Amino acid sequence: MLPEQILLAVLVTGIIFYTLFGGADFGVGVWEFSTAFQSSEKEREYLYRAIGPVWEANHVWLIFILVILFSAFPPAFAAICRFLWVPLLLALVGIIFRGVGFAFRSYASGLVRQQVFWSVIFSIASTATPFFLGAAFGAMASGKEKWISPFSIFSAFFFVGVCAYLSAVYLAREAKGDKDAGLEMLWRRRALTMGVWMGALAMAGLAVVATDAPVLWEGFRKHSWFFVIFSGAAGLLSLAALWRRKFFLATLASQSAVVGVILGWIMAQYPVLVWPSITVDMAKSPEPVLWAMIWSLVFGSIFLVPSLAWLFYLFKGRRPL
Amino acid sequence: MLARLQMAFTLGFHIIFACFGVGLPLLMLLAEYRYLRTKDPVWKNIAKRWSKIFAVLFAVGAVSGTVLSFELGLLWPQFMGTFGGVIGLPFTLEGFAFFIEGIFVGIYLYGWNRLSPKAHWLSSFPIAISGAASAWFVVTANAWMNSPAGFQMLRGAVVDVDPIAAMLNAATPTQTLHMILAAYMVAAFCMASVYAVAWLKGKRDAYHTKALALSLWMAIALTPLQIVAGDWSAKAVAKNQPIKLAAMEGQFDTTTHAPLRIGGLPDAVEGVTRYAIEIPGMLSWLLYDDAAAVVKGLNDFPRENWPPVAVVHIAFQVMVAMGSFLLLIGLWRIFGPKNSLFYFLLSLSGVASVIALESGWIVTEVGRQPWIVYGFMKTADAVTDSPGIIFVFAATLLIYGILIFGSVFVLRLLAKKPIPEEDHAS
Repeated sequence: MLPEQILLAVLVTGIIFYTLFGGADFGVGVWEFSTAFQSSEKEREYLYRAIGPVWEANHVWLIFILVILFSAFPPAFAAICRFLWVPLLLALVGIIFRGVGFAFRSYASGLVRQQVFWSVIFSIASTATPFFLGAAFGAMASGKEKWISPFSIFSAFFFVGVCAYLSAVYLAREAKGDKDAGLEMLWRRRALTMGVWMGALAMAGLAVVATDAPVLWEGFRKHSWFFVIFSGAAGLLSLAALWRRKFFLATLASQSAVVGVILGWIMAQYPVLVWPSITVDMAKSPEPVLWAMIWSLVFGSIFLVPSLAWLFYLFKGRRPL
Repeated sequence: MLARLQMAFTLGFHIIFACFGVGLPLLMLLAEYRYLRTKDPVWKNIAKRWSKIFAVLFAVGAVSGTVLSFELGLLWPQFMGTFGGVIGLPFTLEGFAFFIEGIFVGIYLYGWNRLSPKAHWLSSFPIAISGAASAWFVVTANAWMNSPAGFQMLRGAVVDVDPIAAMLNAATPTQTLHMILAAYMVAAFCMASVYAVAWLKGKRDAYHTKALALSLWMAIALTPLQIVAGDWSAKAVAKNQPIKLAAMEGQFDTTTHAPLRIGGLPDAVEGVTRYAIEIPGMLSWLLYDDAAAVVKGLNDFPRENWPPVAVVHIAFQVMVAMGSFLLLIGLWRIFGPKNSLFYFLLSLSGVASVIALESGWIVTEVGRQPWIVYGFMKTADAVTDSPGIIFVFAATLLIYGILIFGSVFVLRLLAKKPIPEEDHAS
C-alpha cells in the first residue's frame, strides 16, 4: 500500500469515528433541541450524564481529521477551506457554542436561569454544527461550483438525522443498562421513529444524488453499489433489533449503516479529493513527510488506543450486550 | 490586514486558555499528591475545585484551538498549501497529545468516585504530560516559522522535506522551553493572585492559605528559571534572526559595545531610539559574554524587511518589565514582610503574567514580520483573498466576547460556592 493510501484510510477512519461518537454527542443536543418542550428535567440530566465524560475526547476526532488532512494533503485542505469557508465557519461557530455551552452549563449548577440559557445555546449549537458540516460534505461530494445546492441541503439534514438516530440508539442501550424501563421505552420509540424517517430520507437522497450530483451518481453506480445495499440492509437490521430490544445489535447495525454511507461516498469519488481536479496523488505531501506521519500515528496509537479503551470501559463499560 | 488581526486576536485569546490547559494540571497533580500524603481533605478540596476551573478553561481552550486549526486554512491558504507538509508532523503529534489530554480529562473529572485515590491521582499525569507535550509540538511549528529548516525550495516548490529536521530547528529548544515555562507561570501566578485577593478580603482559612502557598511557591520557583530561559532565547534570536533582535533592542546601527536599552521609543524614520536608559556594552555582553562584541543593527538589512520596530521594542520592554516585577514578588515573599502591600502586589501578579505572555508573543510574531516563514514567504503573499473577512472578524469579536463573559461568569460562580468543611463522602 502506498503511504498516501494509508493516510487516506486513516483520514476515513477518523471521519467514521467522529461521526459514530462525536456525531452521537451532537445527536444528544439535537434531541434536546427538538424535544425542548416535552422533556422533563430528569430526562435532560440523563442526556448530560451520558456525554459528560466522553464528549471532549470525541470532539478531538475532528481536530485529528483536520490535522491529517492539512499535513498529508495540504493543497486539498487549502482548496476545501477556500471553497467551503462559509459552511465551515458556521460549523465552527456551532462547535464553539456547543463546547462552551456544555461546560458552562455543567458548572453553572444551582442557577436555574443560567443553566437554561446555556442549555438552549448547547442544543441549538449541537443541531447547527452537524447541519453545516453535513452541508460542507455534501458540497464537497457534489462537485459543484457553489456550496449551496439541493444535494448539500439534503446532506445537511441527513447528517443531523444520522446524529440523532445514533444517539437515540445509544441512549436506549444505556437506559436498558441502567434498568430504567421508562427511559428505555422513550428512547426505543424515538430511535424507531427516527430510523424509519432516515430510511425514507436515504431513499429520497439517492434520487437527489441522481438528479443533482451526476458525477457522484456515476461513481455510486460504478464503485459503491455494494455499500449502498450494505448500508440499507444494516439500517433495516437495526430497526428490527430495536423492535426486539436487542440494543447492542441495534448499535452495531446502525453504526454499520453509517459506515456504509461514508465508505460508499469515499469509493464513489476516489481518487478525487476535491472536485474537479485535486486527486490524492497530486495533493499528497512529500513521501518522507507521509512516512513520518505514519510512524508517528503508529507510535501515538500505542498510547491512544489503550487510553481511549479505558475511558469507554470506565464510563460506558456496564452497558448490556 | 483584517485577516492578520483576526489571527492575532484568536491566537492571543487561545494562548491564555492554553496556558491554563498546560499549567493547571500540574497544580492539580501537586495538590492531589499532598492529599495522598497528608490525608488532609483540604488538599482534596483544592484539587477538586481546581479541576472544575480547569474543566471550564480547557473546554474554552479546546474550542478556540479548533478555531485556529480551521483558520490556518481559511486565512492562510497559500501558506498551508505550500508548507503544510513541512510542519504537518508536529501538528499530527500535537493532535495525539491533545487527544490523550482530552481522554484523561474525562477520566479525571468524572472519575473521583470510580477510581481508587491513587489511580485517580495517576490519571492526572497523562493530562499534565500531554498538555506540556502538545505545547511543545505546536511551538516547534512556530519556531520553524522563525527559523525554517528541513526542506529546500526549488522554483517555488518545496522539495527534500525532512520533517524531523523541521521540527528540531534552531529556534525550537529555546522557544519551546520559554513558552512552556511561561504557561506554568501564568497558571501559577493567576491562581496565586486570586487567593491573594481572597486574603485581602479576609478569607484566611486552611483552604485559602494552602491553595495560595502551593501556587505561589510554584510561581516563585519558576520565575528565575524563566529568566535564564529568556536570556537563552535572546541569544538564539541574535543568531537566527538578528533583525528581530535589533528591533527588540531598538538597535539601528551595527556596533561594538552595544548598549542595553531600558525603555525608550524607537523612531524608524530617523533611525534612533530616544528616551532610553542605556547601559553601555551591556547588550553585547549579554548576548556574547563580551562587552566589545559586535551587535548587528537594523541598518544592515533592507528596509522592506524591517518589522514594525517600535511595536517590537515596546512589547519586549513590557515583557521584561513584567518578568522583573514577578521576580521581585518572589524575592519579597522570601525575604520581605508578608503585609497587606505584599498581598496587594501579589494580587496584580496574575494580570502581570498574562501581560508578559501576550507581549512576549507579540515580540515573536510581530518581530518576524514581514515574513510568515522567515526568509521564505512574506505574510502578504500567504493571506487569503476571500471577501467578507470584515464580517467574520466582527462576528469573532462578538463570539469571543461572549466566551470571555461566560467564562468569567462561571468561574466567579465556582469561586463563590462555599467550601465544604469535610469531604469524606465524595
